[in-house]
Amino acid sequence: MSTFAAPAVRAEPGTSGSGGRSGPVAWMAAPALAMFVAFAVVPLLGVLALSFTSWDGIRDITPSGLNSWRAVLTDPQLPHAIGVTFLIMALSWLVQTPLSLLIGVFLAGRQRYRELLAVLYFIPLLLSSAAIAITFKALLDPNFGLGNGLQLAVLQQDWLGKGHLAVGVVVAVVSWQYVPFHALIYQGGVRQIPDSLYEAAQLDGAGRIRQFFSITLPQLRYTIITSSTLMVVGSLTFFDLIFVLTAGGPADATRMLAVDMYQRGFQATLMGPASVIAVILVLIGLGLALLLRRLGGGKPDDSQLEGV
Amino acid sequence: MNPSPLSRRSFLSLVAGTSAAATLAACGSSGPSGPGSGDAGAADYWFLSGQPQENIRAGAVDRFGKANDNKITSAAFPNDAYKAKIKTALGAGQAPTIIWGWGGGGLKSYVEAGQVEDLTSWFTENAAVKDRLFPASFGPATIDNKIYAMPAETVQPIVLFYNKEVFDKAGAQPPQSWADIMNLVQVFNTKKIAPFSLGGQSRWTNMMWLEFLFDRIGGSEVFQAAFEGEKEAWSHPAAKEALTKMQDLIRADGFVKGFSSIAADTNADQALLFTGKAAMMLHGSWTYQSMNTDGGDFVSGGKLGYLTFPPVEGGKGDPSDTVGNAGQYLSISAKASAEQKATAKKFFQSGVLDDTEIQQWIDSGAVPIVKGTEAKLAASTDAAFLKFIYDTASGAKVFAQSWDQALTPTAAETLLDTIAKFFQLSIGPDQFIQTMNGTIGK
Amino acid sequence: MASTLTRGGHRTPVVTADATTPAGRRVRGRNWFGGAAAWIWLVLIMVPIYWIVITSLKTRGTYFIQNPLVPPSDPTFGNYKLVVESGFVRYFVNSAIVTAGAVLPATLISFMAAYAIVRAGGRSRFLRWANSLFLMGLAVPLQATIIPVYLIIIRLRMYDTLAAIILPSIAFAIPLSVLVLSNFVRDVPRELFESMRVDGATEWGTLWHLAFPLTRPALATVMIYNGLGIWNGFLLPLILTQSPDQRTIPLALWTFQGQFGVNVPAVAASVVLTTIPIVILYAIGRRQLLSGLTAGFSK
Repeated sequence: MSTFAAPAVRAEPGTSGSGGRSGPVAWMAAPALAMFVAFAVVPLLGVLALSFTSWDGIRDITPSGLNSWRAVLTDPQLPHAIGVTFLIMALSWLVQTPLSLLIGVFLAGRQRYRELLAVLYFIPLLLSSAAIAITFKALLDPNFGLGNGLQLAVLQQDWLGKGHLAVGVVVAVVSWQYVPFHALIYQGGVRQIPDSLYEAAQLDGAGRIRQFFSITLPQLRYTIITSSTLMVVGSLTFFDLIFVLTAGGPADATRMLAVDMYQRGFQATLMGPASVIAVILVLIGLGLALLLRRLGGGKPDDSQLEGV
Repeated sequence: MNPSPLSRRSFLSLVAGTSAAATLAACGSSGPSGPGSGDAGAADYWFLSGQPQENIRAGAVDRFGKANDNKITSAAFPNDAYKAKIKTALGAGQAPTIIWGWGGGGLKSYVEAGQVEDLTSWFTENAAVKDRLFPASFGPATIDNKIYAMPAETVQPIVLFYNKEVFDKAGAQPPQSWADIMNLVQVFNTKKIAPFSLGGQSRWTNMMWLEFLFDRIGGSEVFQAAFEGEKEAWSHPAAKEALTKMQDLIRADGFVKGFSSIAADTNADQALLFTGKAAMMLHGSWTYQSMNTDGGDFVSGGKLGYLTFPPVEGGKGDPSDTVGNAGQYLSISAKASAEQKATAKKFFQSGVLDDTEIQQWIDSGAVPIVKGTEAKLAASTDAAFLKFIYDTASGAKVFAQSWDQALTPTAAETLLDTIAKFFQLSIGPDQFIQTMNGTIGK
Repeated sequence: MASTLTRGGHRTPVVTADATTPAGRRVRGRNWFGGAAAWIWLVLIMVPIYWIVITSLKTRGTYFIQNPLVPPSDPTFGNYKLVVESGFVRYFVNSAIVTAGAVLPATLISFMAAYAIVRAGGRSRFLRWANSLFLMGLAVPLQATIIPVYLIIIRLRMYDTLAAIILPSIAFAIPLSVLVLSNFVRDVPRELFESMRVDGATEWGTLWHLAFPLTRPALATVMIYNGLGIWNGFLLPLILTQSPDQRTIPLALWTFQGQFGVNVPAVAASVVLTTIPIVILYAIGRRQLLSGLTAGFSK
C-alpha cells in the first residue's frame, strides 16, 4: 500500500505551529476511515476469506479449504472470462484513445461552437449504463430495431447474437459513452501546452502533423496515461452495461470477470467460487494500476497517477 | 406475459402421473421443505407480475382479505429477477410468508436449507383441499415423500404453436414428424419467413427443444437417469442423436435470425409469431394468454394453431408425453410467525382457487389444476384451446418437469450455460455430453 | 459512469470545457481532420438520443410501420402515462433518497478526512496510513466486494432497505472524494491557516470558516460525480434490494424492459423519463458543473 501512499501525503512542514498536537485533527479522519473499513476493507478481506468456504446463499457458510480455488482454476471458463475482460479492455482502449485524442485536440481550439459541442458531448455521461444498454438493445434488435425499420441490410445484423459482433457492440457502446469524456480530458491537456513550443516549431518550419507528433503527443504524455488508466481500470467495471445489454451472451461471448462473478454467485449460488473470481478481479485491478503507474514514468513523486 | 417464462420452469416430476388429472407419482424428489419468513403481523405473499395473471393472483388475495380478519399483503415482481431474488431473500431471512414458485429442484434446495414448512400432515387433515386438485400437480411439490407446497393456478404444458395465416399463404401443413419440421424449415426459409421463433437469450427456451427431442427419441427414461444421478447418464445414444438433430435444425436456419439475443421475458419471441415474421414457436401454453392480450386479433381471429410436439422417426418415446408445469406452487416460510402461518394455511384452504379464481383462469385461456372443470372449460370462448390443454395434460403418459427445475440450481446453471453454447454451435454434441456428465451428483 | 470517473485520481487538468482559452492559442491552421471527427461523433451521439425521444412519442402501432427516424405526425404521451402509472414516482423518490443519503455524508466525512490529512498528514502515521488505504481503494474494483457486502447487509438485517444501498455507496465514494478534496485543501495558502491559528480558532472552526468556503468548487465537483454515480448505480440495488418498494431508477428501467416487452415506445418512454431529471439538472447547473470539474480536477 505504501506504494500508493507516497505522493499524496505531501506534508506541510511547519504548516502551523501546532507541532505535535495532531491528535484532534487526526480524529476528523475517523468517520471516513470507519465507513471505508466497514464497507470496503472488511469486504475486501471478507471476499478472500469467503473464497475458502462454500456457501449457497441460503444455508450456513462452511469452510472448504481450497476447493473453490481448485474448481475455478481448473474451469476453462476462467481463462475465457479473463480473455474476454482483456479483449474488451484492449479494444475499448484502441478505439477510444485515438478518437478522443483527435477530438480533444480539435476542441482545444478556439472555435465558437466548441462550447456547444462540449455541452452536448456531456449528455452520454449523464445517462445510466442501464438506460444506455436498453436503448442500444432496442435500437439493434434484428427484428424490431432500427435496421429492420429502415430496411437497411447493413444494420440488420444479428448484433447481439453473434459472439464477435456482440463484443464489438459492447466496445462501440462503451466508446459512445466515454469518448466525449476522454476528449474533454485531452482538451484540457492540450490547453496546458505552452504556446511558445508551437511558435518555436513554426519558426523551424514544422508542419501541423509534425507539430502534433513532436510537440502535442509528447506533451500529453501524462494526460494519455491518466486517460488510459481511467479506461483500463474502468473497463473492469462494465458490469451494468453488459449485464443489461447481453447478460454475458450470446452464450459466454461477453462474459467478463465481473459478470462471471455475478452468475456464479447469485445465479448458480456458488458463493465460494464467485469469491475466487472476485479476488482475481481485485488482483488484476491492483496489477494494472501498478503497471500504469510505472509507465507513468520515472518521477515517482509525480502527481499524475497518485490516485491510481 | 411474464408469468410465462417462469412458469414453464416448473417441472414435473418426471414420470409423474399417467394422467394429469389422475395420478401423481410422488416422484423421485426428495427433501423436506420449510416455509419462509415472516416477522409478525400480516402474512405477505410475493408472486410474479404480468397480466392477466397478476390481477388474478391479486384478486384472490383481495377477496380473502375481505372475507377474513387475517390480512395478506401482496407484492408482484417480474419474473426476470424473481428466481434469484427469492433465493436472496430466503438467504437473508426475509422471505415472504407465502413463497410462489415452481416446485422441483428449487423447492428442494429450500427444503434442504430448512426454509419451508412441511405441509404433509396439514394435507392429511385437510384431505378435501388435496382431493380437488389434479394428482399430478403434487409431483413437483413432493420432496422425499413429503409435501412442501400447495399446488395452485394452472397446468401449462409446452405446445408447438403455429401461425395459420402464414401456413396458408405458404400452402404448408403443420408438422406431423421431425422430417416434416425439417421440410418446413426449407419451405419457410425460401419465403423469407423464419421457421421458428425462439427467445434464445433466456436459455430455458432452447432447453424445451432438447426436452422434447430427448423424450421423443429415447423416451422419458433418458433424462430421468440423469436426474437420478446415474453415472454417465448423458452418454445415452439417444442423447447424442437428439443433440445432433438439434444442431442440424440450427444449421438449417430453423430459428429466427438473432434468436440468441432475444429474451423471452420481453415476449419478443411471441411477437415474431403473431406478426407473421415467424411461422412456428415451441413455447409454454401460458403464451396463449399473452398472445391473446398483445396480438390484436391473432388469437381471437383464429389464426393461432397449436399441436403437441410431433414424434421423431424411429424414436422410442411416447408421442403423448409432454413437458411443462404441472402447476404453480405456494410454500410457507419456516421462519414466519405462527400467526402468519395460520393465515397462509387458511388462504390455502379457502382463498386459493376459489370459484371466482377458477373462472378467471379459464377466462384468461388457461386450465386450472382443479378437477371437474370440463363444463366450464367448454363454455369458455377459448374452449378449443382449453380442451386441447386439458387433453394434453390429462392424456400424457409422462408429464415431465423442465430440466432446469428438476435439477439443483448449480447443475441447472451449468445446463443452461451449456445449452446456450450448444445453440451458438460453439460446442458440439460430444462436448455437451461430457460437460453434463460432469455435473452428475452435483 | 461514476465508477469510471471514480478512478480518476489525478491532478492533470481533466475537464476544462469552460475554461477561457487564451486567445491566439495554437498558431496552426484549421484542424479539418479533428473537426470532421468531432462533428461526426456528435451525430453518432445524437442519433440514438433522438431516436429514443421520438420513439417514446409514437404509439406501438405506428412504431412498427413508420420509418424509425421520422418523428411521429401525431405524438402521444400515452407511453409516459403508462410509465408513471407503473410506479415511476416511487422509484424516483427512492433514487433521490439514496443519492442524497449517500452523497451528503460521503462528502462531509471525506472533506473532514481530507482536511485532517493535509493539516496533519506529515506528522501523523495514522493519517498517512489512512490515506494509503483510501488511495488503494482507487485501484480496486470495488464491485468485487459485493458478495461480502451482501453478507454484511444481511447480517445487519438491512437487506431490502434503501440504507443497504446507501452505506456501501458512501464507502465506495470516499477514496476519490478524499483525493480530490485533499488536493484542494492543500492549495489553501499556509498563511491563512496560520492567521486562523493566531486568532485562536479551533481546527473545527478552521475547517468550516476557512477551508470550507475556499474548497466549495471542489466540494461541488465531488458531490456531482458521486451523485451521478450513485443515481445511476445498478449493481448495489440489484443485489441488496428486492421489493418494488425499494426499487431505484436504473433497476426500475431494467424491470420495465421486461414488463413492457416489445412495446418499444413504452420502453423508450421509460428511458427518457428516467433521464429527464438529470438532464434538467445539467441544464440548470451546467456552468457550475463544468467549472466545478475544471476546478476539482485541474488542481
